[in-house]
Amino acid sequence: MRYIFCLICLFAFTQQKIFAQDAKKSGINGTVVNEFSEPLASVKVMVKDSKKEIFTDANGEFHLDTPPGTMLVFLWKDYYTRELKATAEMTVQLTDAFLKSPNQVDMLYERVDRSKVLGAVSTIYTKQLTTTPASLYVYAIPGQLSGVYTKQNSGFTSFNVSEISSSAIIGQTLVNASSNNNRSTDNSEISLSVRGQTPVTVIDGVQREISSIDPESIESISMLKDGLSTLLLGNNSSRPVMLVTTRRGEMGRPHITFTAQTGMQQSLGLPKPLPAYQYAYLMNETLMNDGKPALYSAEDFAAYKNHTDPYGHPDINWFKTLLKDYTPISNYKLNVNGGTNVARYSVSLSYFDQEGIFKTSPDVSYSTNNSLKRYVINSDIGVQVNQNLNVDLQLFGRVQNTREPGNDYNGLLNALFSTPNNAYPIYNRNGTFGGNNIGGNGGPYSNNLLSRAQYSGYTQNNTNDILANLDLNYNLNSVLKGLTFKIKGNLAYQSITALDRSLQNPSYGYIDSAYVIYGTTTSQSNAFRTVFTSRQSYAQGSLNYNRSFEKSNVDAQLMYDRKSVVANYDLASTTTNAGGRVGYDYNKKYFVNATLIGSGNNRYPDGKRWGLFYGAGLGWEMGSEDFIKENLPWISGWKWRATYARTGNANIDLNASLYYAYSQTYNSNNNGKNYQVGTGYTTVYYQYEGSLANPYITWEKANKFDVGTDISFFQNHLQLTADYYHDVYSDILGYRGNSIALLGTGYPLENIGKNQYHGIELSLTYNNHLGNFNYFVTTNGNLAYSKIIYNDELATPYAWNKRTGLPVSGTYYGYTSLGLYQNAEDAASSAHIAGYTPQPGDIKYKDLNGDGVIDAFDQSTIGGTKPLAFFGVTLGGNYKGFNFSFVIQGVGNRQISALNNAVDHFGMDYNTTNGQVYENATGRWTPETAGEATLSRLAVSATNNNTMFSTFYLKNGNYVRLKNAEIGYSLPYSLLKRIRISGLKIFVDGENLFTIAGFKGMDPEVQPYSYPIQRVVSTGVSIKL
Amino acid sequence: MKNYIHKIILLAALISGCKKYEQFPVDKVTGNYVFDPLDSAGVNAQSYLYGIYAIVKSGHSRVGGDYLDAASDDAVSSQTGSSIPVTLLTTNAVSSFNFPGSENYWEGTNLSQAPSSSGVPDAFWAGVRNANIFINGIGVVPVKGGLSNGTTTAQVWRSEARFLRAYFYFELVRRYGGVPLLGDKVYNIEDNLEIPRSTFADCITYIVNECDAIKDSLISAPASDGDNYRATKGAALALKAKTLLLAASPLFNGGNIESGNALTGYTDYDVNRWTLAAQAAKDVMNLGVYSLLPSFTHIFLDQNNSERIFIRPGNNSTGIETRNGPVGFQAGGTGNTSPTQELVNAFPMQNGLPITNPASGYLAADPYSLLNDVKRDPRFNATIFYNGATWLSSTVDTYEGGKSKPNSSQQQTESGYYMRKFMGDFEAATTYSNHSSDWIVMRYAEILLGYAEARNEAESAPQPDVYEQLYAIRARAGIAAGDDGNYGLTPNMTQAEMRAVIQNEWRIEFAFEEHRYFDIRRWKIAGTVMNQPRTGIFIVKNGASNTYSTVNILTTVFKDNQYLYPIPYNEVAKNPAMKQNPGW
Repeated sequence: MRYIFCLICLFAFTQQKIFAQDAKKSGINGTVVNEFSEPLASVKVMVKDSKKEIFTDANGEFHLDTPPGTMLVFLWKDYYTRELKATAEMTVQLTDAFLKSPNQVDMLYERVDRSKVLGAVSTIYTKQLTTTPASLYVYAIPGQLSGVYTKQNSGFTSFNVSEISSSAIIGQTLVNASSNNNRSTDNSEISLSVRGQTPVTVIDGVQREISSIDPESIESISMLKDGLSTLLLGNNSSRPVMLVTTRRGEMGRPHITFTAQTGMQQSLGLPKPLPAYQYAYLMNETLMNDGKPALYSAEDFAAYKNHTDPYGHPDINWFKTLLKDYTPISNYKLNVNGGTNVARYSVSLSYFDQEGIFKTSPDVSYSTNNSLKRYVINSDIGVQVNQNLNVDLQLFGRVQNTREPGNDYNGLLNALFSTPNNAYPIYNRNGTFGGNNIGGNGGPYSNNLLSRAQYSGYTQNNTNDILANLDLNYNLNSVLKGLTFKIKGNLAYQSITALDRSLQNPSYGYIDSAYVIYGTTTSQSNAFRTVFTSRQSYAQGSLNYNRSFEKSNVDAQLMYDRKSVVANYDLASTTTNAGGRVGYDYNKKYFVNATLIGSGNNRYPDGKRWGLFYGAGLGWEMGSEDFIKENLPWISGWKWRATYARTGNANIDLNASLYYAYSQTYNSNNNGKNYQVGTGYTTVYYQYEGSLANPYITWEKANKFDVGTDISFFQNHLQLTADYYHDVYSDILGYRGNSIALLGTGYPLENIGKNQYHGIELSLTYNNHLGNFNYFVTTNGNLAYSKIIYNDELATPYAWNKRTGLPVSGTYYGYTSLGLYQNAEDAASSAHIAGYTPQPGDIKYKDLNGDGVIDAFDQSTIGGTKPLAFFGVTLGGNYKGFNFSFVIQGVGNRQISALNNAVDHFGMDYNTTNGQVYENATGRWTPETAGEATLSRLAVSATNNNTMFSTFYLKNGNYVRLKNAEIGYSLPYSLLKRIRISGLKIFVDGENLFTIAGFKGMDPEVQPYSYPIQRVVSTGVSIKL
Repeated sequence: MKNYIHKIILLAALISGCKKYEQFPVDKVTGNYVFDPLDSAGVNAQSYLYGIYAIVKSGHSRVGGDYLDAASDDAVSSQTGSSIPVTLLTTNAVSSFNFPGSENYWEGTNLSQAPSSSGVPDAFWAGVRNANIFINGIGVVPVKGGLSNGTTTAQVWRSEARFLRAYFYFELVRRYGGVPLLGDKVYNIEDNLEIPRSTFADCITYIVNECDAIKDSLISAPASDGDNYRATKGAALALKAKTLLLAASPLFNGGNIESGNALTGYTDYDVNRWTLAAQAAKDVMNLGVYSLLPSFTHIFLDQNNSERIFIRPGNNSTGIETRNGPVGFQAGGTGNTSPTQELVNAFPMQNGLPITNPASGYLAADPYSLLNDVKRDPRFNATIFYNGATWLSSTVDTYEGGKSKPNSSQQQTESGYYMRKFMGDFEAATTYSNHSSDWIVMRYAEILLGYAEARNEAESAPQPDVYEQLYAIRARAGIAAGDDGNYGLTPNMTQAEMRAVIQNEWRIEFAFEEHRYFDIRRWKIAGTVMNQPRTGIFIVKNGASNTYSTVNILTTVFKDNQYLYPIPYNEVAKNPAMKQNPGW
């Protein structure tokens, strides 16, 4: 990295920069420049407290006949306002605002005037993305992008290390089940949901699931939430589109940005294990409650407590032994951008390095810790070949190596969470790894945790991507004024391979004064596997017409495109669209828009491959009407808009069982379908009927309606956007309720379900300045309702068993807990599950149907029925060189299940394994603490009763989180100018800094046993030349 | 510009012109590949037939890791963790919607495969479906060869599929009573499956007729080594005998749990049903191809022995020992199965006299005859591990604190006994080694005993042919003939006395072979035997001697509705024509 920095410095000093050196005039001569010292034209320059104002010319220069010392105000859209005392010769640098609202916005396949947008679109720009120190740009979305609900599932990327083994691998682990447009995604950490759907990602006009683009090279991320905006995706148009637009070359001398950033991460939400003596005490209590003899004696307790016998009575805090407190994360980015009238270019290089939470051993010469190292290059060259032809070539490459200890970090974490402090010593007296054969040789404690984390080698995933995009734009003005012809071609290749250099060491237990070997010993492997490859191609041709006739403006488009994806062994999945779009507006006041598209997918049965999708929109800029202008002058704009669209979702690729399953097929020779016959036990493989064919399969459909309004007040200082949507999805794939087993095989997925989603999205933005203090606050609040209208539910005898009519997702079904039984009479006389006699300290359930037995008929909806509410607040400001911003994210009406050993259920099960216990276990019921018990009594025999999912384990999942914050300082331009640097900024930013959660026992997002969510604090420097 | 347009048009023409893509994955196997009209070897069709055989269950550790008989009065599970299927069954903690998956072969166990669908590939209905697919499809395959009687190989295979279908129906009928008879139709998603149950009588007739129809188009026993898993003529006749014995049994013949309900059994009693059962057994005996294997333990270890009629092939492994072997041995073993004291007491002495008979020579202070000169029935040693039994060149110590009952946190026997049956001859070994672990679905001894049972019921008093079968079985077991040649049996017993002897013989001869569980139902005695507590032995070692006391280990419950399984709740809810069994 140091070399790159040197190069940049060198480059900076050799720059030949020419400032305008006109003949001096009296008064004030000034230049206004941007962060790259490029002149800014049309900046409004006002003399404070007077009406005098002028605009800068094309060279960013202005001249005012006022004496030096006058206070001048510099104003320009999307830049922070500055007030400066004038000097005779002055250069003023304006800084990009955190929030932007440029006049043109990116929509699917085109860039249009903001006024013409009729759908529901929310957008964030570069500055909102770059304050988040994380591996993926999606980390910046929570709380910032209106209408997007996020939930983090893991704090680290996932690994795919198994060999491609099946010829129909689709629908299996590698496929992102919720996004059917692309086969593999690099985002395994954060799930996104917009209006109840997972969005499809479109990067620069091509569907592609990449989340690791350097945020610095992203110009904007837009979420297209309504049906009309996404309709050109044809049979993939039902899902919202996350539109990522990368930066293109801009005219001017080279703009170079270099950012170096490094920080520390800290795990959040790890539970606290109990020391061994407490564990032993609770174990005895469990055994006693089950009527078994105690396992630990008073001497055992003493040995555990005083640590007098570290080999026989170990007490190991495995979390402290295995995990680091802080781990580094760093990021280096270089962007070069510039161009001339003929050619423009943009190049971005980035390097990202994230270390995992595991400690490493000094004895091992290589790192076994989790790590993610990524190099991304993104370049774009646009050439104006002649007056009419523009060619743009974009190349994107990514090389990513991820590494994990042993061959499965998730398994290691799982073992870490479930291994008791006293399971075995780290090392035996003779120096071998400790182990324990509880649960049998090969059981959960036969592979020493330390050995597994630090001495078991590593597995590495290598992911390589290359993507090329070619755009041809031909202006056909000569044929017809306003007509252009575009061709877009894209080729992408992805390969994921795995390098397995793992091993397993034996561990030893001390039995009858001898060491006994446990577990399997695996020698050092050196395996290389192809995990996933995909080739994707996309071609699009379109004819565009855009012209104004006096007050009427017309734009129209005819397009044809074809997308083909080849993943591993599978046949190409090809989607073809042909259609068009026409828009008309009168005087930018009345808008009408319509789209019609025919779309086909080759995975559907012959003759049933093509469908028609359509939509229309209306808009009215009421703010331009005279009655508003005259009566409500403080309203600067007020637009009404509405869209309707009939969209499709060709999700046949989602499930392996649907791969060409319109014809009945038979399987053989895999999936363990074999047995041995004859006296020699010859293995025979057998044919068997595959999933039952569904010759009627078709795509899902949706009717999506959206109505919204955008209002600006007080010269756009305050902006309000509100949307109401009502989407009904039909023909949703599901299993029929009436699936009679006499059929003799499983019913296939059929187009059965019907769901409704509706809700409200509001966002409010205010920005203004007080002198040099620019400040802003933007908030978004969302309320998302959903309802299962139909899912062929089996008739239920009781209304509370029914699921139709309830929310589509997030609903919890279970028993209603009445607390813990406090006395034997109550336990004996109350309804309980068949075959179990409850005892004081067990969970008591409500017998909903009053039949005296607790069974499935007593399950009902116990949570998650309210509309999900989520909001975000971003606030910040800028004062001279200082800037700060805070992003707060919150979720309401949410519940989480805490039925897991680390949080709520005591993990002890002496039958096969002794699970670990955590601090929460001390709250278990005992006769003495009956009143304040927070958990049921300890007894394996009561597990059946006490681990049924009920309101006992349903916890408040609401939270408010300070998701992101940045404080930065930019050195004054006057200082930097001398060393030929346009900008130098130092900053501190952080992620997941502070959380208030409804339930304290665990992180509200990332569950125990997963890689914990990380708090990140990072500092960096950014240089602009 | 024109050049460009030309090129673009050319390119577009090329793209649309190349239409030779693979339109359907060639690796996908379609129906005409499985049943290939050109394949005279019938490779794929045979491979499909293997798949139907695979649905026959191996009883080893079948029900949640336990033997089904751990849900009878013979044993309890040593597993104590969460819901143990056999324990749920014996404690009546089951209902029509939470019946243990591993004994719910109406819907199948692998319910996770498709969350909301049902009927998955290990259910007996899947067996019926696959057999029907085969029966309908095999006709076009011109497989070479055939039987000497002119039956073509394709016809033999079809008969095997019909045998398997009949067997799957038998398994359903003995659990549920009358079930829907689907005929040869293969149903698809557009078909109406709201089919009512056929009567019990119709189901029995169907199975019997199928067995009769196919018996001459199957291979004959003894099958060659490589065919040892295939259905033979003997298997078809044995299935018929087994079915008729079931049909003649009290639960269905005269003891219908809901009198007048033709779904749950015959609505009348007919002694002739016993005669039919006896005749069917006699038909198997008359084949003359089966005989009792001299070594009791080797029935389960020797492949293709003369006693086996139909098997579910297993493999070469130590799986039975690892799961059920006594704990405390270096060779491993988690002691899953805990035989009860009731089963232990059922074994007579080697002289054939029950231990309750004062003349038997049984000593309560030496219950396992370790020192006693009068030994227990040799089948006892072959079935049960008791305190002091020899194993792996050591002894099984199930006294309190002994190595096989250490009372630590690991799983151990609940009753003081472990199961010995099916295991290899490892008494003098030091470690386990792989051995054959086929599951015997039908063996010759059950034909003999079934014949004895049916004959005893068909006549007013036991005839000599009843005694003969018992002598044969007892002789093979190693019981001494005695001076009178009666193998410990009392001559001239009444029908009821003989019935008790036969029922006890079933119990000890076929322990853990999935007989006892069904036998106590078909004899309609489960209400009596299962409503007593299960007991085990509690042994305290005092120096060289031991003190024995019995302890209750589990309270089992049996209600009359348990004589038949419930039709799964959802299946009744989905299908208005599906009638639930009484009491569920």
